[in-house]
Amino acid sequence: MGLLDKLSSWMGGGGKVVTVLVLGLDNSGKTTMLRTLTTTEQEGQRQGPGASSVPTVGQRQENFQSGGVSFRAWDVSGAARLRSLWERHYRHCDAVIFVVDSADHLRLVVARSELELMLSHPDMSGRRLPLLVLANKSDAPHALSAPHVASALGLERITDKPWHVCASSALSGEGLGDGVSWLARQLREKH
Amino acid sequence: MSSFRRDKKEEEDTGGNIFQNLDKTALLQEARYFNSTPVNPRKCVQILTKIIYLLNQGEKLTTQEATDIFFATTKLFQSKDVVLRRLVYLCIKELSSMAQDVIIVTSSLTKDMTGKEDLYRAAAIRALCSITDSTMLQAIERYMKQAIVDKNPAVSSAALVSALHLSATVPELVRRWVNDAQEAIMSDNAMVSYHALAVVAGARKNDRLSTVKLVTKLSRSPLRSPFALCLLVRYAAKLAEEDQTEASEPYLEFIECCLRHKSEIVVYEAAHAIVNLRKSARDLAQAVSVLQIFCGSSKATLRLAGARTLAKLTTKHPNAVAACAVDLENLISDPNRSVATLAVTTLLATGAESSIDRLMKQISTFMSEISDEFKIVVVRAIRRLCTKYPRKHQSLASFLAGMLRDEGGVQYKTAIADAIIALIEENPDAKETGLAHLCEFIEDCEHTSLAVRILYVLGREGPKARQPSRYIRYIYNRVILESGPVRAAAVSAVARFGATCEDLLPNISVLLARCQLDDDDEVRDRAIFFSAILNSNDPQLISDYITNVPTPNPVLLEKALHDHLRLNPDKPFNILSVPSSEPTKEPEEAPVQIETRKQPVVSLEELYSEQLKVVPGIEKLGPPFKTCKAIDLTEPETEYRVRCVKHIFARHLILQFECLNTLSDQLLEKVRVRLESAPGYKILCEVPCEQLPYDKQGSVFCLLEFPRGPIETLGTFGATLEFSVRDCDPTTGLPDGGDGYSDTYPLEEVDVGCAEQFRAHVAPDDWEASWERAASAAEASDTFVLSQSDINEAASAVCDHLGLPKAAISGDAVKEIRGGGLWREGTPMLVRARLVASQGSVTMKLTARSPREDVATLLLAAVG
Repeated sequence: MGLLDKLSSWMGGGGKVVTVLVLGLDNSGKTTMLRTLTTTEQEGQRQGPGASSVPTVGQRQENFQSGGVSFRAWDVSGAARLRSLWERHYRHCDAVIFVVDSADHLRLVVARSELELMLSHPDMSGRRLPLLVLANKSDAPHALSAPHVASALGLERITDKPWHVCASSALSGEGLGDGVSWLARQLREKH
Repeated sequence: MSSFRRDKKEEEDTGGNIFQNLDKTALLQEARYFNSTPVNPRKCVQILTKIIYLLNQGEKLTTQEATDIFFATTKLFQSKDVVLRRLVYLCIKELSSMAQDVIIVTSSLTKDMTGKEDLYRAAAIRALCSITDSTMLQAIERYMKQAIVDKNPAVSSAALVSALHLSATVPELVRRWVNDAQEAIMSDNAMVSYHALAVVAGARKNDRLSTVKLVTKLSRSPLRSPFALCLLVRYAAKLAEEDQTEASEPYLEFIECCLRHKSEIVVYEAAHAIVNLRKSARDLAQAVSVLQIFCGSSKATLRLAGARTLAKLTTKHPNAVAACAVDLENLISDPNRSVATLAVTTLLATGAESSIDRLMKQISTFMSEISDEFKIVVVRAIRRLCTKYPRKHQSLASFLAGMLRDEGGVQYKTAIADAIIALIEENPDAKETGLAHLCEFIEDCEHTSLAVRILYVLGREGPKARQPSRYIRYIYNRVILESGPVRAAAVSAVARFGATCEDLLPNISVLLARCQLDDDDEVRDRAIFFSAILNSNDPQLISDYITNVPTPNPVLLEKALHDHLRLNPDKPFNILSVPSSEPTKEPEEAPVQIETRKQPVVSLEELYSEQLKVVPGIEKLGPPFKTCKAIDLTEPETEYRVRCVKHIFARHLILQFECLNTLSDQLLEKVRVRLESAPGYKILCEVPCEQLPYDKQGSVFCLLEFPRGPIETLGTFGATLEFSVRDCDPTTGLPDGGDGYSDTYPLEEVDVGCAEQFRAHVAPDDWEASWERAASAAEASDTFVLSQSDINEAASAVCDHLGLPKAAISGDAVKEIRGGGLWREGTPMLVRARLVASQGSVTMKLTARSPREDVATLLLAAVG
C-alpha cells in the first residue's frame, strides 16, 4: 500500500473501488490520458509527457486513484472494427469517461452517433451513471471549446444521467484533474 | 500414528474428488463472478482451475459459451495476483481456438509482455502468440524480436518456441526474426540455445544450401547446450543421409566427435544417429561400444536407451549386436521389465540356434511378471525365430502352447495364435503339432473371435493333415458346447473336411444333418447349404462354394451392395465384381519395439472411393474393379508434382491426377489435364480442379471408356497440365488482383498395360485341377526370349508385368509361374509360364487359358 492509498483512505473514508469505462473514437487520446493519470498519481512525471503510445488492440486495464476513490479503468480500443466489443463492458461499469478529439471536427458526428448508441443500449439506459466527457486535445490549434463540443454531441438532451464536459489535454494533464475529481465526487455522492 | 495415516488417506480420497462431477452450466454461472469488483483471487483461481480441468477432460463448449467465459476471464486483468494472472494466461490459451474476438486481449498481453514483472512475461508471450492472427502479427513483431534476445532465459525461450509454432502459419514473418534467433543460439542457457537452433533451422528447412552452411558453421563452434547439440546431430545426420557422396564426410566426423562428448544425452544422440544411418557406417563399432556402456549404466533410462537402440540395430547389423550378447544377458534379470524384454527379444533375434533353449528357459522365469504388452513383444520375437530356425519348431511351439494356457487378455492370446498359425503355414513339419495345440486351446477359449479364427484355420489346414479325422472331434465339440457364431464357424470347418476328404464324407453328412436342427438360424442355414453342395457330388460346385471361396473386401462389398440396391435392385448382384480382400501385409521392418502403434490397413480402393465421388455418373460404372498404385508423372522436386492413379472399372477407366503446387507465391486455377487419347479410347468427361493453392493436394479426374476389343486397350496417353496462374502473397496465400495468365506443364506419358486390367492371385492348391478343367477353354500360347540373363530376375520381372505376387514362382532350374486372375469384365483366366535359362538368355513359354480367347491373347500381347 502506497502512502497515497493511505492518505486517500483517511480523506475519503473507505477508498471505494469503482469500475470506469473509457470510451471514444480511435486516436482520441484514451490511452495517453490514462497513462498521464496513472503516472501523475503514482510515480510523478517519470515517463514524461510526449511519449507516444501505440494504438490499443482490444482492451487494457489501468488502476488509478483520485479524490478518495480507487478507479479500475478499462481502456477499450476505439478502432471501428472493435467498437462492437464496447457493449461487453456496459453491464459491469459504474461510470463512463467519453473522450472526444475536439480538433477532429469531421468525426464529431461519428462520436455523437457512437455516444448515442452507447446510451441507448439496454444495459446503459435507465441507469444513473455519471458520464464525463473530455474534450481532449484542447491545446491543438482549431480545437473546439468545451461548450461547442457539448452542443455538437447533443449532451443537453441527456436527462437521465449526470454529465459533465471539460476541456483537457491528455499530454500535459491539463483539465484531467478537474474532470476526474468531478467524477469522484459524483460517485461518492451516489453510494 | 496409524490414526494419523488413516486421516491422511481419507483426506486424499476426498481431495481427489474436487474436480469430479463438474457441471458445465454451473461453471458458466460461476464464471460470472469474474465481473465483480474487486475480485477475490483465491476464489477466481479455483474457478479457473475448474474451467481448465473441464476443457482438458474433453468437454466441448459452444462458441457462445467459450466467448462468454473468455470475456469474463479478461476482466481478471484487474487483479495483480501473480498466480491468478498466470492462470488467466493458461485459460486464454485454452479458449483461444474456441472463442470469438480473442484479439481483444492483445494490448493487455503486450503490456504484460513488455512489463517489469518477469513472472508474467514468458506466459504472456505464449498466450499472445496463440491469440494473434497473421494480420495482427505485424503489430507485435517489434516486441517479439526484443523478447527473443531478452536476457531472461524464460522469456527468450517462450518467444522462440512461440515463433516455432507461428512458423507453421506465417513462415515468412518468422523468417524475419532469424537474425535475432541466431544471436540467441550462442546464449549461455541450454534451453534458449536449443530453441533458437530449432527456429533458425526451421526457417531454412526448404533451403538445403543454407542448412548446410548452418550445420557446418555450428559444428565448428563450441556449442555449449547439450540439447542444441542433439538437435544439431540430428540435422547433420539428415544431411549425411541425403547426400551419399564424399561431401557428407564432415558431418559424419562431427557426429563421431560427439560420441566423446561429456553429456550422456549427446553421446546417445550421436550413437543413435550413426546406428540409424542408411549407408553402412564406417565405424559402427564405436557407436555400439557406447551403447554397450549404456547397457551397464546404473540409470534405468540409459539402460533402456541402450537396449532399445541395440534391438533396432539387430535387423540391419546382427553381427554388430552379437558382440554385446554378454551385456544384454545381464539385462535379462533387470528390475525394469521393459529393459529386460528388449534384451531378451534382441538376444533371441541375434542369438545362435544353440542358445535358444537356454534363453527360452530364462524367459519362462519372468514371463508371469511382465504385462501383456511385453508378452506380445516376446511372442512376436518367438514368431520371427520360428521362421529363422525351422528346426527348433518343437521347443518353440511347446513354449507358445504353454503361454497359450496361461492367463492373458485377448490381444495377447491373439498374438500367440497368430504365431502358431504362421508356424503352421510356413513350416510343414510343425503343422501337426501346431494344429494339435490349437485344438487344445479352443477347448476352453473364451474369446469368440479367436475361436472362429482358429476354426477357420483348422478347416483349411486340417484336411491336408495325415489323419484328418482326429480334428473333427475337436471341431464338432464346439458345435455342441459353444455360442452361435462359433457353432456356425465349426459347421463351415466341418464342411471343408467333407469337401476334401472323400472317405470322411458319409460321417460329415451325418454331422451336418444333426446341425440342421440347431437353434441358431445361421448355423442351420450353413448346415443345409453345405449338405446340399456336398450331396451334389459336383467337384466344380464344391470347389467354388466350399474350398476356394473368394472373400470380398468387406468395406467395398458394403458399398457395392448399397449402390446396387439404389440403382438396379431388380438385377442379380455379381459378387465377383467386388475386389477380393488381399491378405494384409506385415509391415516390412520388424525391429523390436515396446510401444505398438497400429495403423489401420486400408486397401487402395477404400482410400480413393471417397475422392472418386466427385466424378459425375460414377455410380453407373459399377464398383471399382481395381485401383493401381500412384505413378509419378513429374521429376521429384519440380514446381508442380503430379501423380497418376488409374482406377479400373468394368468398361471404364478413370485417370486421377493428384497435383501438388510447391510454389508458395502462386495460386493455380482451372487446373486440367489435356490427354492425347490412345486410339480406341473415348474421353467421356473431365473434372478439373478449380483451385490449387500452395501445398494442398488437388485432383483432376478424366473418365474414359475402354475400347471394345481387349487387344486395343494397350496404349499410351500423352498428358499436359493446363492451368492459369495467379500470383499471390506467400504469407497469406491471398491472390493479387488481376486475372493471371495461362500456362502449361508437360507431364510424362501414362501407360495402360495388361497388369492393370487383371486382378491376379497366386495359384490355389488345386491349381492343377482347375488348369485341367479349363482345358476346353480357349488357349493362347507363345514363346518369348527375355532380355534378362538371370532366371530369377526374369521370373520376378514377368510377375511384375502380369501383376502376380512373387509367391507364384516355383521350381529351381525350370521356373514355373502359376497364377490366375479375373479380367475387368469378370472373365476368369489362368496363366502358366515356364522359364528356362539357356546360353545367357531366358526363354519363356507363356500359356493363358480363358473362356474368352481375346482376353487370353491380350495377356500374350502385353508380354510381347
